[in-house]
Amino acid sequence: MIDLLWLMVDALLVTLLLILGWITCASTDIKRGITLFTAFGLLLALIWARLRAPDLALAEAVIGAGISGALLLRAINDHKPLGSSTPQRSAWMTWSINLMALALFCVMSWSMWLTLDQVDSTRLSQLVLSQLDDSGVSNPVTAVLLNFRAYDTLLELAVVLTAVLAILALSPMRSAFQPAGVLLTGMLRWLVPVLIVSAGYLLWVGAHAPGGAFQAGAMLAAAMILLHQGGYHSGSGLNLMLLRVLLVIGIALFVGIGLVMMLLNQSFLDYSPGWAGLLILVIETAATVSIAAALTLAFVGGRPDGWEPVTDSSNPSNSAEFNS
Amino acid sequence: MNNLIVWVIGIPLLASLLTIIWPRRANVIALLTALACLLASILLTYQVHAGGPITHALGGWASGLGIALRIDAFSALLLLMAMLVVSAASFYANAYFADPLKQVRFWPLWLMLIVAINSLLLSGDLFNLYVTLELLGLSAVALTALSDNRAALQAAIRYLSIGLLGSLVFLAGVAFIYAGYGTLDLLQLAELARPDALTLVALALLSAGLLIKAALFPMHFWLPAAHASAPAPVSAALSALVVKVSVYILVRLWLDVFDPALSPAATLLLGILGGMAVIWGSWQALLAQRLKLMAAYSTVAQLGYLFLFLPVIVALPAGELRDNAFGALLLLALTHGFAKSALFLGAGVIQQQAGHDRIADLGGTARALPLTTFIIALAGIALVGLPPSGTFLAKWQLIASSIHSQQWWWIPVIAAGTLLATAYLFRVLGHAFGPGDSVGKVVNWGREEIPALTLALFASVILGLGSAGIWDLIVDGRIY
Repeated sequence: MIDLLWLMVDALLVTLLLILGWITCASTDIKRGITLFTAFGLLLALIWARLRAPDLALAEAVIGAGISGALLLRAINDHKPLGSSTPQRSAWMTWSINLMALALFCVMSWSMWLTLDQVDSTRLSQLVLSQLDDSGVSNPVTAVLLNFRAYDTLLELAVVLTAVLAILALSPMRSAFQPAGVLLTGMLRWLVPVLIVSAGYLLWVGAHAPGGAFQAGAMLAAAMILLHQGGYHSGSGLNLMLLRVLLVIGIALFVGIGLVMMLLNQSFLDYSPGWAGLLILVIETAATVSIAAALTLAFVGGRPDGWEPVTDSSNPSNSAEFNS
Repeated sequence: MNNLIVWVIGIPLLASLLTIIWPRRANVIALLTALACLLASILLTYQVHAGGPITHALGGWASGLGIALRIDAFSALLLLMAMLVVSAASFYANAYFADPLKQVRFWPLWLMLIVAINSLLLSGDLFNLYVTLELLGLSAVALTALSDNRAALQAAIRYLSIGLLGSLVFLAGVAFIYAGYGTLDLLQLAELARPDALTLVALALLSAGLLIKAALFPMHFWLPAAHASAPAPVSAALSALVVKVSVYILVRLWLDVFDPALSPAATLLLGILGGMAVIWGSWQALLAQRLKLMAAYSTVAQLGYLFLFLPVIVALPAGELRDNAFGALLLLALTHGFAKSALFLGAGVIQQQAGHDRIADLGGTARALPLTTFIIALAGIALVGLPPSGTFLAKWQLIASSIHSQQWWWIPVIAAGTLLATAYLFRVLGHAFGPGDSVGKVVNWGREEIPALTLALFASVILGLGSAGIWDLIVDGRIY
């Protein structure tokens, strides 16, 4: 009876997901599309939870639905309608794109069907569980992300940093938000401390339960973004050197510890026995701070005043050489 | 000293962080880093030559559970070429970006690009390759957008979306491989590979993603705009390295990892697309009105040649014949890397001096900028394939291998591509040596010309004369 009930819930979730996905894509109003996309992300998080992947559910809810939604809405506000009209696709083009998408869908579904009877697919998860005791943490997802495949995570942090570097290089300072009204300010006073404590909890709990640096960092960034929107302008009075250090400390500590371990134990990121748990916590804490700084800067969407040591007005004529 | 393989990734990564902390000295940090990476890659190539492929198990975990870094003759030579190009382009960029503001924005992203190229070439894991592709694509897009004009921004946005599409398709392929084999380690996959339907679908997805990134005809449409509108040192790296490392993964997957699973029909298709790329790219290069656009279309054509090798190599029996063809593939890739970067750097000098790069208005360039014209001519020799350039030997070997594998129909394609390349090169040189003074008065561009000349000499003389070493490495290194 309970099983049947869950089945109905699952069927409802999947149907809703498909419908939401469809109307998100079909939406002509871009703002409405983004709102629907956020809802789509939340629904997807529920489905991950039902699939017993709570780590993914958390990441999807915080990053996929939360931060991405905020970033998209922020980008929309910048969108100035261009003078020229947007290019219209011909009917032929639309149909060929649809056909290609359909073909891809069929091939992918068929291949997923093929994977169902593969015996090898669980081999790696068994290997992870058998080595879990040596990893320094008891959450297998954290063990993979910060120990077995820590190098992937290191490069992912570099990807996040590169995205922020691109934003800082391309976009000048933005105007700040107006100070918030009484209601929002009152809410912020409650919400921001709760978010900070939650981020700390997620970071700490990641060692043995779902959580970890990416989720915690995103939550910390959410607190910063709320403050920013409330008119607490983070550009003024903030020590830029401190911001630079916060931005890079995650990768710096990660690489630094990896290299020290290499000199001690022969290979990069080879944690000494007994130290793994502590080192992972140190790396995750630094990574949380860096991710939060990066996501906040991405939302602010431009370099803070004085980010570049040379004055912005030094030589505008020099850029002429790049225009051809 | 087996840790060098980690340092060539770790040093540029730490240097990039350092340039964020200390932007005023970013250029000094970056130049020292480029030289350190060059030195490390020379030592690594020597180690591979002396002791065969090197593996470094990250975290000390068994491969399969952890990620392995791996280097063999194939990746070592590409790494060496990449670091030579990057070093020369770094010194060039230090002079090219006169505005200190540009330098502050350029160096951290440039160092990230180096991290991406090195980690991609040294990766021994399929999912890790996806991460490196993301890093590569993102840093390349950001660098393209650094030329503050509308055309560059549009090209960069298109480059970003097409690159993300390629990454997603590639990632889908990775997921299917993982579902089918339960491992992502390339060496383990090579042992387990079987020619079943799932493998073929996965391989098709992986290849489709890579072909978009490698800009094989007809997926080349994003390349000319992006490569032609980026700042000159960035264009050099994009054309010489960024598209080429995607081809590297493709060749690695088709010839090394999944050899038993692949069908000759699929490689024949890649060869046909490559042949069309050669003809179409060369033709468009001939029609191009701007020097950098011509160089970009020439990249489309030159990448096409690399794909001509695939059906030929697959049809040859393992042994000396196959090794020879593979050596030629590698030689062509290396020579193109040097020649195209030299050409873009030379074009950058002309653009700075003249304020434009319209081919029809290049009259008097040879008088005003003799060394730059010489660089472009040398690079052109290597692109066309005149002796003693590496391209000459590689094309010669490709023709010989086509005959050995009884695929004579590639020969007219090679001949037509070579003739068209000669035509577009001489069109530029004809205008450059012609009368006119639109290029302006003589200025000393030595700080930019010397790095470009070094690359052009590698392309046209040094590689061709030293090509015996490449074949030695291939045979000793046993890539497949």
